[in-house]
Amino acid sequence: MIADASGWGANQASSLQALRDLRSARRRHYAAQVDWIEAGYRLYLGVIFGGWALALISGALADVRVDSHALAQIHQRGAAALGLLVAVAVAAGLRSGGRGGPLVLEAPDVQHVLLAPVDRGAALRGLAVRRLRTAGFLGVVLGLVAGIFAFRRLPGRPAEWLLCGALFGAAVAVSALSSALIASGRRFHRAAIWVLAALIIGWSAADWFGERVTSPASMLGALALWPLHRANASFVLPAAGLVVVTGAAVLGLTGLAGTSLEAARRRAGLAAQLRFAVTTQDLRAIILLRRQLASEIPRRRPWLRLAPPDGPQRRPWLRLAPPDGPQRRPWLRLAPPNGPRNAIWRRDWQSFLRWPLVRVLRVGALGALAGLSLLAVWRGTTPLVLVAAFALMVAAFDAVEPIGQEVDHPTLLALLPVGAGQVVRQHLRAPTTVMAGVGLIAAVAAIVAGAPAGLIGVIVVMTVPTALLSLSCAALSVTNDPFAYVLAPELGYFQTGLPVALVVIGVGGPVLLARQAARHGASPVGAAVACELAVFAVSLAVMAWLGSRVAARVPVRS
Amino acid sequence: MTATDRGGADLPALAADGLRREYDDLLALAPLDLEVGPGELVALVGSNGAGKTTLLTLAAGLVEPSHGTIRICGALAGSLEARARTSYIPDTPVFYQDLSLNEHLEYIARLHVAEDWRDRAPDLLEPLGLQQWGDKLPDQFSRGMRQKASIALGFIRPFSLLLADEPFDGLDPPSRTVLVEMLQAATADGAAVIVSTHRTEVADFSSRCLALHDGQLVYDGPPDRSIIAGHLPPQDDGLLAADVPESG
Repeated sequence: MIADASGWGANQASSLQALRDLRSARRRHYAAQVDWIEAGYRLYLGVIFGGWALALISGALADVRVDSHALAQIHQRGAAALGLLVAVAVAAGLRSGGRGGPLVLEAPDVQHVLLAPVDRGAALRGLAVRRLRTAGFLGVVLGLVAGIFAFRRLPGRPAEWLLCGALFGAAVAVSALSSALIASGRRFHRAAIWVLAALIIGWSAADWFGERVTSPASMLGALALWPLHRANASFVLPAAGLVVVTGAAVLGLTGLAGTSLEAARRRAGLAAQLRFAVTTQDLRAIILLRRQLASEIPRRRPWLRLAPPDGPQRRPWLRLAPPDGPQRRPWLRLAPPNGPRNAIWRRDWQSFLRWPLVRVLRVGALGALAGLSLLAVWRGTTPLVLVAAFALMVAAFDAVEPIGQEVDHPTLLALLPVGAGQVVRQHLRAPTTVMAGVGLIAAVAAIVAGAPAGLIGVIVVMTVPTALLSLSCAALSVTNDPFAYVLAPELGYFQTGLPVALVVIGVGGPVLLARQAARHGASPVGAAVACELAVFAVSLAVMAWLGSRVAARVPVRS
Repeated sequence: MTATDRGGADLPALAADGLRREYDDLLALAPLDLEVGPGELVALVGSNGAGKTTLLTLAAGLVEPSHGTIRICGALAGSLEARARTSYIPDTPVFYQDLSLNEHLEYIARLHVAEDWRDRAPDLLEPLGLQQWGDKLPDQFSRGMRQKASIALGFIRPFSLLLADEPFDGLDPPSRTVLVEMLQAATADGAAVIVSTHRTEVADFSSRCLALHDGQLVYDGPPDRSIIAGHLPPQDDGLLAADVPESG
């Protein structure tokens, strides 16, 4: 019964063999449960749809090649700009590592393996290598897609663009994951992570301003653009970037033993729930669990405190009385609104004012990404419409959090002396203001990047209708009943996909029509206005559907 | 089942020195100095949120102290040597979904290089009433059976310190008796045992009682219910007064 811990160094081999045996046994169990015909069918569907998507992307890229001015810009600052992207990915990785990421273990592994006298580094290495491999593979796929974009619009051989795109994609993914492994295994302090992230991003930003390549991140950018520079540049800088990434991966893998068990246990519990939520396409649960995994919790102290409502005797903002004295009833008395509408408005702002800094930055960055993507669409890279729509939809998911909270507590909603549908529709007012702000950020980003006046006008026209559409579609998504179509999964996919499709059409339609109008000498703003009327009508219809759907689900009816 | 090497036996099984744990601004465990010797059976009592689980997870190495140290037989909690000596039975049983109970026993025993697990497994499962369930997956188990299986996993491997978090929860009376016998056998064998509980019978058979309230150690002494009650705040009066009927 009494444990002998005197010779555990010698017992390591035996324990690790047990670990290997267990994993192979579990693989056998898993393989025995797999329906190979079903798996083959899924692979077949994947190949068919993947090939179709690739063909569609290739076809959609029959756009104009970049002009000489843009090419000169890419020559001067392209590597540093891509380096900035890499630096942001590495900073995100460091942040994830500071919160116990990126590895997600099973709860029994934490309890039985990591508490056993087994070298934790050895026990976790297989999982970490698998994560690196998967991330690298995804990076290769995205890099290949980017390579297809590049060789259709830039000079250089297609094979070189594809190869460099794949290498760059893999390097970005591996560097982000490796930095997370380093921060997690070596227990970087939160303050140190912020400083390190600022230094890495700052170095890349300095490269961008100085039009040079000195940081490892910029070196990876140079790798991505090597087909452009091949004639007059050596491969030394890109190779140095790859060496740094490899070194980071090795450093991450050798520090795994320091992984915090507390964080691993917390993530294990959340990840199990997250897998179930993904299986049932429960978007609301996915958002909440992802926030918990990233430790993205509301601020204890709001950025600003709202003044308490004073009741019906509140002083008006504006009081216009007739000239013969204040004792007469005023012609106009503008007081802050009271009642349920104001309560909902206040409640929503109280929620926004508790957003953690990372969420504020993310929503702002998504707005900028949407603006830059729309600029690229305007200049000819049509598929980036998807990126703009995706960015706005993700920002809208953050903005509809108050509705999500309302739907999470249906009994509270049912007990309110106001119709549930009305409450949910009222909840769209404050988020619309937030999303209008996101639209403003998109416009500013486009202006900074040199957008023409026509596009700026289009973005301004789009702001409010697009904010309404993206919010109502995001709200529709978070109020989906994940179990409504368990027996008809096709309907479930439709339910999940419809809001996304509406936002893609609502964002892409006006921009593409306005672009066509501009190319044919017509007013792009006029074309956008006509389109936005339709977007506005669709938004109202979705809002009405949203209200009636939530009202129908309320458990207690007055 | 016999001791093979008492290396470190002259050291306390558990020694906490200025041990403190905070969760942000919440104090979960106030600075604590504590020693538990080999062969001691310690009942750890306290109301919900008193800090019992925090103390046990700190000793198991699952949670790290904010300040101070905790050592198991001289080794820092969480170190390889400490893990070899500490068995932890969590309050919520944790199982792989795709391994049967026997496969769990084999795996955990082999991780701890317990070569005699094949002989010992039936001796563990039979008194707990699990002998027919060895080849079943944990998903098929009831709440009580999961708890018993978790106890079996805690005992299949050698240990110098057993940490059991609410191990009596969900057990039927015969199983509770069996568990008491197992805990007593472990202490007789020289291991130290710390059991967190709300149940009176643990205080009756333990050799020492620790009472926590709001993260503070408010009592450390013999398991006399009347004395312990005097050290607990009024709201904890019922803690050791009567046995709680088993619901499950």
